[in-house]
Amino acid sequence: MPASDRRGLRNAVVTLRSRLERHALSLAALATAAVLAIMLYLPVGVVFVEAVLEAGRPTLAHFRSVLTDPFYVGALADVFAEPLAVGSHLEGVAGWLGAVSVSATVVRPIPGLELPVPWLALETPGVRLGLFGFTAYQAALSTLASVALGLPAAYVLATYEFRGRRTIRSLTILPFVLPGIMVAVGFYAMFGRGGTLNGLLGLVGLGPYPFIEGNPLAIVIVAHAFYNAPLVARVTVAAWESVDRRAVETARSLGASPRRAFRDVVVPQLFPAVLTGALLTFIFTFMTFPIVLALGGLQLATVEVWIYDRVRQLAYGEAATLAVLETLLSLGLTYAYLRYESAQSGLARSAGTPARRPLVPDLRTALSPRRLAIVAYGLVVLVVFVGPMASLIVGSVTDGSGLTLRHYAFLLERQLEGASYQTLPWIAIRNSLLFGVATLAVAVPMGVVISVVTARAGRAGAIVDALAMLPLAVSGVVFGIGLLRGLVFGIPLPGGWRFQVTGAVAIVAAHAVAAYPFVTRNVSPLLANLDPAMVESARALGASRYRALRDVELPLVASGIVAGAAFAFAISIGEFSSTVILAGGGDTYTMPVAVERYLGRRSGPAIAMGTVLLFVTAASFVVVDRVGGRFER
Amino acid sequence: MDRRTFIGTVGAGTVTGVAGCLTRDGGGNGDGDDGTLRIATYDSMVNTENSAGPWLKEAFEAEHDAEIEWTVPDQGLTQYVRSARENADIDADAYVGVNVDDLVRIDDELGDGELLQELEVDRLDNADRIRDELEMGDPHGRVLPYDTGYICLVYDETLVDEPETLADLTEPAYEDALLAQNAQNSDPGRAFLLWTIDAHGEDGYLDYWGDLEDNGVRVLDGWTESYSGAYMEGERAMVVSYSTDQVYANEYDYEMSRHQVAFPNGQGYANPEGMGILEGATDVDVAYDFFDFVLSSEPQAEIAQRNVQFPAVADDHVDLDSTFDEYAHEPSETVAFDYDALRGSLGGWVDDWAREFVGQ
Amino acid sequence: MTDLELEGVAKRYDGTAALEGIDLTVRDGEFFTLVGPSGCGKTTTLRTVAGFESPTEGSVRFDGRAMDGVPPEERDVGVVFQSYALFPHMSVAENVGYGLRFRDPPDGQTVDERVRELLELVDLEGMGERDPDQLSGGQRQRVALARALAPAPDLLLLDEPMSALDAQLRESLRRQVKRIQSALAITTVYVTHDQAEALAISDRVAVMNGGRVEQVGRPQAIYREPATRFVAEFVGDNNVFEGTVRAREEDQARIDVGGETLAVSAVPPGADRVTVCVRPGALSRNVGTNRLPVTVETSEFLGETVRVHGRWNGVEIVLQLPGVPEADELTVGFDPDDAHVVATD
Repeated sequence: MPASDRRGLRNAVVTLRSRLERHALSLAALATAAVLAIMLYLPVGVVFVEAVLEAGRPTLAHFRSVLTDPFYVGALADVFAEPLAVGSHLEGVAGWLGAVSVSATVVRPIPGLELPVPWLALETPGVRLGLFGFTAYQAALSTLASVALGLPAAYVLATYEFRGRRTIRSLTILPFVLPGIMVAVGFYAMFGRGGTLNGLLGLVGLGPYPFIEGNPLAIVIVAHAFYNAPLVARVTVAAWESVDRRAVETARSLGASPRRAFRDVVVPQLFPAVLTGALLTFIFTFMTFPIVLALGGLQLATVEVWIYDRVRQLAYGEAATLAVLETLLSLGLTYAYLRYESAQSGLARSAGTPARRPLVPDLRTALSPRRLAIVAYGLVVLVVFVGPMASLIVGSVTDGSGLTLRHYAFLLERQLEGASYQTLPWIAIRNSLLFGVATLAVAVPMGVVISVVTARAGRAGAIVDALAMLPLAVSGVVFGIGLLRGLVFGIPLPGGWRFQVTGAVAIVAAHAVAAYPFVTRNVSPLLANLDPAMVESARALGASRYRALRDVELPLVASGIVAGAAFAFAISIGEFSSTVILAGGGDTYTMPVAVERYLGRRSGPAIAMGTVLLFVTAASFVVVDRVGGRFER
Repeated sequence: MDRRTFIGTVGAGTVTGVAGCLTRDGGGNGDGDDGTLRIATYDSMVNTENSAGPWLKEAFEAEHDAEIEWTVPDQGLTQYVRSARENADIDADAYVGVNVDDLVRIDDELGDGELLQELEVDRLDNADRIRDELEMGDPHGRVLPYDTGYICLVYDETLVDEPETLADLTEPAYEDALLAQNAQNSDPGRAFLLWTIDAHGEDGYLDYWGDLEDNGVRVLDGWTESYSGAYMEGERAMVVSYSTDQVYANEYDYEMSRHQVAFPNGQGYANPEGMGILEGATDVDVAYDFFDFVLSSEPQAEIAQRNVQFPAVADDHVDLDSTFDEYAHEPSETVAFDYDALRGSLGGWVDDWAREFVGQ
Repeated sequence: MTDLELEGVAKRYDGTAALEGIDLTVRDGEFFTLVGPSGCGKTTTLRTVAGFESPTEGSVRFDGRAMDGVPPEERDVGVVFQSYALFPHMSVAENVGYGLRFRDPPDGQTVDERVRELLELVDLEGMGERDPDQLSGGQRQRVALARALAPAPDLLLLDEPMSALDAQLRESLRRQVKRIQSALAITTVYVTHDQAEALAISDRVAVMNGGRVEQVGRPQAIYREPATRFVAEFVGDNNVFEGTVRAREEDQARIDVGGETLAVSAVPPGADRVTVCVRPGALSRNVGTNRLPVTVETSEFLGETVRVHGRWNGVEIVLQLPGVPEADELTVGFDPDDAHVVATD
């Protein structure tokens, strides 16, 4: 080829590429919008619209009946029924307030065991909370517990160096991926009267204690903390590691004691992250489903339980109404939080990672009060987090006669001899990993695009950002039924056609929709803190908006992207309800689906599959964090 | 998608490639008479250890010039109810695992006699072997039982005595002893609730449950949580479960003392499972052949022993292992609501119970 | 290389106007400065030229080509920001070479050659491998300048590039920028709020206020003949007296200032209410046609001279005297030719 031709060809390629790059961001935004429209707004809309329809006619009857039913909204029912009777409502409130007393007490939650736990005793004259009130109450308690259990972990992981720190940090994601039923079984195996903990206590002549029965609400809250404290810890560690060391040093040089410098400099920078964790925890536990009924029992039923029941009875109107109320509440909280977060932007976050101290430098330090407190916390972690998972693993290798490998033998045999219509372990593992990686590949660009779009858009940005959190705020049951009705059955079109979306691509898209908010939440704050002149410099130098993003912004927010990617992977691995619906009868089932399918009258095979899920996930996360670590500075 | 007219991929998003596709209605169920019977069922028929499904497929195909394809809709029969409601395709010819609650729900949702075809019982030689007490009372004759379970109480004899009556459960001797399941969600839970309605009447069952609650009954969501979770970890002395419990205890070497079976009032609640042919099925002949086969002696024994249920046919027509006979207990009297008793009442009973129980 | 024209450029955000019809022409190779107080619209004007903002009305033209809708990356401009905006994850050389990923280096140079040349140009030879955070403020700003110049842009835009630096560094860097600009003969638009800097460095200056251009001209003209009271007060120290024209003669006029009369040589034709501007250096003790008795308030020792703040006839007066005045009262005067008179708007 003559040189001129070659140059001509090269120019053509360069032109084409630059043209693509010029539109890359708008194309990505369009694609994101398309995925959201098909995989989120369509299915959710299909169900939500039922809240305002009665036999095809618009109506507010569903809302009226829910909002005036004391079963759902408790004492507020009167207020909704007669919103204008302000006087009598105020009298009611005043009378009630007069009878409230709050006192800090010590309770012994476990009968027969002198284990004092500080508890805020709220003496109320029997106000009816209703389903919504109780759901919010348990979510608030769960959030407190998750933050209380998560923060010390963040502290230890961010400020101390010890062997296995990185691995432990990677593994904090594990509880996130466990199917609810496995957590329930794990909790019974750990805390049950005949469980591991009582077994261990029995060795020193204590117990057995009814840890679960003694206070079912407490155990549900601990189980929620099992899921969410690692989330709080992960988000906080990321923020802690990006606290500017120079700011701490400046404070110290100005005469602040270490404690004071921590309070004045570090705490304000951690606060938004802690709040993010708390907000997500509240939303998740507000929509909690399998765990409450599995551990707490029907008395502790939440809104989501009722939505599930209504859906099961095909009472879509009532289900949709409950779900809409649930979603509005979550989105309202999210919006309030985002307004707060944007008020905080300006908090410098830079890479001046605080140096970590060795956890156990020598024996004397090891016996200092602070180190002993860490040891005590370590014990709590062992009991609350490691215990249920370890008990699950033990459960997978035991039966009535003691140790056995028969459950794993079942998995192996099913893999080797199973028929195509049966659920094969390796296919589940393979699908989980493939979908996880694909979800990561889709959710990260989606999340980043939404961050870029909303990062500097002021108040409008906060609204869009809050709406972008919709996947977290929509009831899982409703999303599932929406997928089924909107995508699996399909939308009828004129001429006998139907628009349907199913199979592997749909599963990945649904996972990505569930996962991208985590990317956005991790990336947005970092992006908002970058100097806008950085992007503008790049553009003036000839970079398209896309290239400026790729070359300048993304490398600088890599830590947020890696954190978001890890969550995306975890969400995909752990996702159950939409996977099951979109998988249909094909071989697109994943590990959690396999666990569910192996559950029969013998729980051993399912527990063995759950253990496989744990190990595969643990291994992947060590890899994800190691690979991701290379991109972080 | 193989069963549908694949037309094209529309709107492949550039980044994610969401493959939407347009399909034409009426393409489903149109395979014609190719000798393949697509049977939908629940998970434990095919996916759990030693399931009966694979055995049935192999044995039937060996005898007949036909093929069976098992499929497991993830939402069970509900999925087909929804499909029918939305006029979407149903990818099966027959359903194995329909109980009487399902029939009621089908008719509530879709109108009387929908979803499944009325069976021509004359075409089945073995139909008259079915025990009368398992009759579901469907006015549209859509299903035939192939096995049944009995809901009973499983208890730990080292902790409590065998309860003689349901009323005993409200006595101090059984304080904080009973584990039950959510009737909204769980088959044994619903069966137990219906049993108490049978015993105390529509007007009395809520009072009875009030007494149970005062006596500390715990209602967990499903059977797995309450049995594999709570009961097996020693949480309580008694659980609502199946009367075949000892078969498992024997197989997995658990202490028999914790796996005692009680039939209060001398009764157990029968939960027969039936099979039927879906509307729009193509291979109806094969379906009849298969149903007749299922009701014959050897499959009845295999189903019972593999799924750990009881045969649907009378004792003369089935020969069970002696171990199975030894550990699977049948109540002397069975309780069961038939179609007519449940139709129009079931939803309200369960709702009232759940609201009463939750009522914070 | 490039002429830059702005015609009727207006910019509004949510109804509030940031720019109200800017008309400017910057000639090829010229060092042109936009100066004004903060919020006057100078940065917005620069950003409009760079393409970071699009004007609500009017148009920006490079060599007669309208730039409407042309994104920044296709305008061939180099921009230097006050915050340096160096890419912290890239070395100095990578920063300087970044623009060469999109445009070939001029004159057939390789990227490495070009980067080395520019680092030499800004006196940073051998610093290529460093990270930006290992550099001092002045060094970083020079890297930013080298980075902006590397792709040989048609237009160099500098947005308050020295504001973050200390005074001494600012002066030396200012000279360096001017030297480089002259050597390359690159059309340059410089934004600053520092009028002294603007006068020192520019070929021409535009003084902006409230989203408008008050005056465009060479530094000497701006200093000596401010077109408006705002320019008179903003550029350099000045004494300004508001008054009314009492009598116009052929080469003189009399202005009434709060009851006192001042003689000036020329007034704008047709103006009735005028502002008389007299530079502090033009006021000398006990000489001149107009004599003003001044009450001294404060004195600042500046080395060669002393700046004295005082009051005459209720108006604040600034003087530049050779030494600290010994009395609290003193008389200064100026000749009619030393006053510059503008119409009061």
